[in-house]
Amino acid sequence: MFSYLIRRLLYTIPIIFGVMIITFILFFAIQKPDTMARVQLGKRATPESVQTWLHNRGYDKPRFINWDALKKHKVTIKEEKDGHTRTVTIEESGGSLFDSIFFHQMWRFATFDFGKSDVTGRPLKEVFKTGAIPSLLITVPAFFAGLATAVAFALVLVFLRHSPIDTAGTILCVMLMSLPSMIYIIFGQALVAIGLKYFPAFGYELNGLSTMKFLLLPVALMVVLGLGSDTRLYRTIFLEEYGQDYVRTAFAKGVPISRVMWVHVLKNGMIALITLTVAHLPVLILGSLLMENFFGIPGLGNTLYLAIQTTDFATVQAFVFIGALLIQAGLIATDFCYALVDPRIRLS
Amino acid sequence: MIRLPPGVLLVASLLALLAACSNDPHPKPFAEKRPDGSPWLVRYSAMPDEPKSLDPQFAYDEMSRRVLEPVMDTPLEYDPMKTNPYELRPGLLEEIPHGVPNAKGGIDYECRIKRGILFHDSPCFPGGKGRELVVGDFLYAWQRMCDPKVECPALSALADCVDGMNDAYEEAKKSGQFDYSKGIPGFEIKDPYSFTLHLTKAYPQILYWLAMHFTSPMAREAVEYFDGQKHAGETKQRPSYKFHPVGTGAFSFAEYVPGQRVRMRRNPNYHTVTFPEGGWPPELEKLNRPLAGKPIPFIDEIEITIFREALPNWLLTRQGYQDGMGVGKDAYNSVVTPIKTLSQSYRDKGMTLDKDVDPSTFYVTLNMQDPVLGPNKKLRQALSAAFDRQSWLDIFYNGVPTVADQLIPPGITGFRPELRNPYGFNLEKAKKLLAEAGYPNGIDPKTGQPLEITLDCVASGAEERQSAEYEQRQFQQLGIRIKVIENNFARMLEKEDQGNFQMASGSGWMADYPDPENFFFLFYSKNIPPIGKNSSRYIDAEFDKLFESMSSMENSPERSQIIDKMNLKLIEDCPMILSFNKAGYVIVQPWAPRTHHNVMLEGGIKFLVIDPVMREQKRREWNRKPLWPIGLVGVCLIGLVMYGVRWNRQRHV
Repeated sequence: MFSYLIRRLLYTIPIIFGVMIITFILFFAIQKPDTMARVQLGKRATPESVQTWLHNRGYDKPRFINWDALKKHKVTIKEEKDGHTRTVTIEESGGSLFDSIFFHQMWRFATFDFGKSDVTGRPLKEVFKTGAIPSLLITVPAFFAGLATAVAFALVLVFLRHSPIDTAGTILCVMLMSLPSMIYIIFGQALVAIGLKYFPAFGYELNGLSTMKFLLLPVALMVVLGLGSDTRLYRTIFLEEYGQDYVRTAFAKGVPISRVMWVHVLKNGMIALITLTVAHLPVLILGSLLMENFFGIPGLGNTLYLAIQTTDFATVQAFVFIGALLIQAGLIATDFCYALVDPRIRLS
Repeated sequence: MIRLPPGVLLVASLLALLAACSNDPHPKPFAEKRPDGSPWLVRYSAMPDEPKSLDPQFAYDEMSRRVLEPVMDTPLEYDPMKTNPYELRPGLLEEIPHGVPNAKGGIDYECRIKRGILFHDSPCFPGGKGRELVVGDFLYAWQRMCDPKVECPALSALADCVDGMNDAYEEAKKSGQFDYSKGIPGFEIKDPYSFTLHLTKAYPQILYWLAMHFTSPMAREAVEYFDGQKHAGETKQRPSYKFHPVGTGAFSFAEYVPGQRVRMRRNPNYHTVTFPEGGWPPELEKLNRPLAGKPIPFIDEIEITIFREALPNWLLTRQGYQDGMGVGKDAYNSVVTPIKTLSQSYRDKGMTLDKDVDPSTFYVTLNMQDPVLGPNKKLRQALSAAFDRQSWLDIFYNGVPTVADQLIPPGITGFRPELRNPYGFNLEKAKKLLAEAGYPNGIDPKTGQPLEITLDCVASGAEERQSAEYEQRQFQQLGIRIKVIENNFARMLEKEDQGNFQMASGSGWMADYPDPENFFFLFYSKNIPPIGKNSSRYIDAEFDKLFESMSSMENSPERSQIIDKMNLKLIEDCPMILSFNKAGYVIVQPWAPRTHHNVMLEGGIKFLVIDPVMREQKRREWNRKPLWPIGLVGVCLIGLVMYGVRWNRQRHV
């Protein structure tokens, strides 16, 4: 198991390196940093101020490899000796071959130094720290509430299978799945926050229990968003379990139906369920782009949205890096959970 | 008997509890009441984007300026009431300085600072109490402008005329470190309360720069203290100076939460300027008369919420949680009627509608170095006359902006309200001009085919594309062929740098300061991209001469004559197709009337007032919550549960 973990971890290195190369090419080879400098500096950008901007961020270095390192430069130095000034010409190499934007960035990411935002100059570590809390406050409750609601709803449908409620539930699920997520957000905001005025339509403040009023609506909407597809899936899983021999045996032994459903079926169905959901867990920290933007929650989703809008290379790159790491972590966690809940599976 | 699952009861009670809590999205104000027991006044304003930086010597975007204006005082400031033309009045200086020729052939401006002005209280000062403003704080600001690490966007303009700024910048660039112990030759300290600016040439616009926050005095202690680090013995990390300005303004900076809000509170020591004694338009007489000459600010706290989408601001304004808003595209049709009045539902709430015209001009750039357009003035005039600006504005901008007949926008010295562009929309005239240009009915006699011209535009969405296609159709009425080329922003910049285009749509300029020089320099031959913004590559010796003489003159009848001449010359030469001056509607809440309409001020919040009693009453009225939907949802849930249970029992009987 330990050797499996090591192997799995080693696999992630080339994957993440590949992701970073692709993002780097997208940002630095396709679009020049000069353009971004001019966007940032506004209408009074001069070639000089652009150069200073690039230099201060290290973007004036060669992109991939510093070929200058191979060439020898002649440098003239004035030397003062015993009151006489004489000029000496020496040959100097153009620095290290790896003195390029690419290698600097890769090294920074390898050492988990995210640097500063290109646009605001805020340290990205701080950006992640402050943004993660609001994001987690929405995604974690939404994840667990969503899971619980979908499982409960699926079990109820299995419990009442082939009844009019089951049919209506299935139709409802398909309807929920067919609508684009924007509709839920706009409609939910319009109905609950604007029409009924139960919650603020926009905003966020971390202040004890009153934070709830900002979170409940987005969390509820996220639960509804995932409900359709999740319920359909879980219903299939549970229905399959329900047809198994052990369920029949349990009924034959006189176990009440509620116990069969909530203990036997649920427990066995969980194996499939865990493998499907655990992979999502680490990514929760990155928040929800749409929801945060619509409700004005200053989480990481919102930060990423803004970074993309303002072509903030440094921030987007850091997000891609962290995102890639988290997804890898999620996949590894899935493997382990799978082995943990199902004793038949061995990791080797 | 059927027992209700506890979950249903729990959800129902939770919802009932929530219905009782407020939908006010704002955090609690800093205080409930003033020390004298009167209500604590908060002004809720909004901005559509993040401030890029709150460093006065670096920030150049509109959002940053909005936050900096209440916090950082400037040596001079715009008179809030004088908008036609805009006028300056003293801020931190005792009076507006006058240029005096010096021995070196340049101009000197002697500036005297008001005494007794204190910086905001801040932990960066000994004892946390703000110290007095002295001349060294002004010098420090000018030094920072020359520091390459600060990246001051005003440097290129100021270094051109202020003695020694460029040398200081170059020296620091070479050594990698700006030496703050050295002064700047152009900034001479006379005594602790006065300094002289030495200009190498006449540049009267320097006064406008003194009304921008680049020249705001800076406390060195603050820049050094707020370093963004955690220090031994302190529990919290200090904020970075870039986002924690300390100034002498009417409001002290309290907090900036990225993506959410900026908050400021009243500076109790503020007495730099007072509310103007007069000069407002007659319709403001009733509101402003009682305020005349009074100490400002009138409000205790400002909360600026950052709304990156237009919708939430609109919603919160309707609920009474925002004290007014700009009417964006999304909200336009619901807010403004076709006859340009406020919709009934808003009028019922007591709201009013205001229109602001920005000091800006937008145009289609024509490349003067293009072999077809450049030498053919009649062709350019024909294109200008073929463009129906009003219908284009009606379709793409709801008809809000005004058609520009001259380069100078309204409110700026040199604007002539009676002037009409002789090459404004007139299709008959356009066709005649085109024939005179050598292309009768749009046909190029050399090829026998319609003349083909390319129109470059920056298109990132369907709307921009449609706008360009509309322009294309307008020009094609002449019988010529227009080829639209869509570019991304980077590609367009590149084309402008290289002069590799014929016509480019969507150019424009928003005034940095209300002087015609700030618009005419767009056509000065030494400002061709990438150095400047003369994308038309208009090179004209006479225009250049006039520009050079007018830019070094103070306002006078003689200068007005030159401005008129330049204005007419540009209209006649047509290096661009003038299109519009940007404008926008604003919704004003009944409790937050506007005391001024000056758009050169970024909000001018220190002059604003608020009626908290009316606001509270209206908020209550507009936010009544119906409780029946909770009951309805509860009944439906219970019904479903009961039905399910019954169905199941029947099945297993």
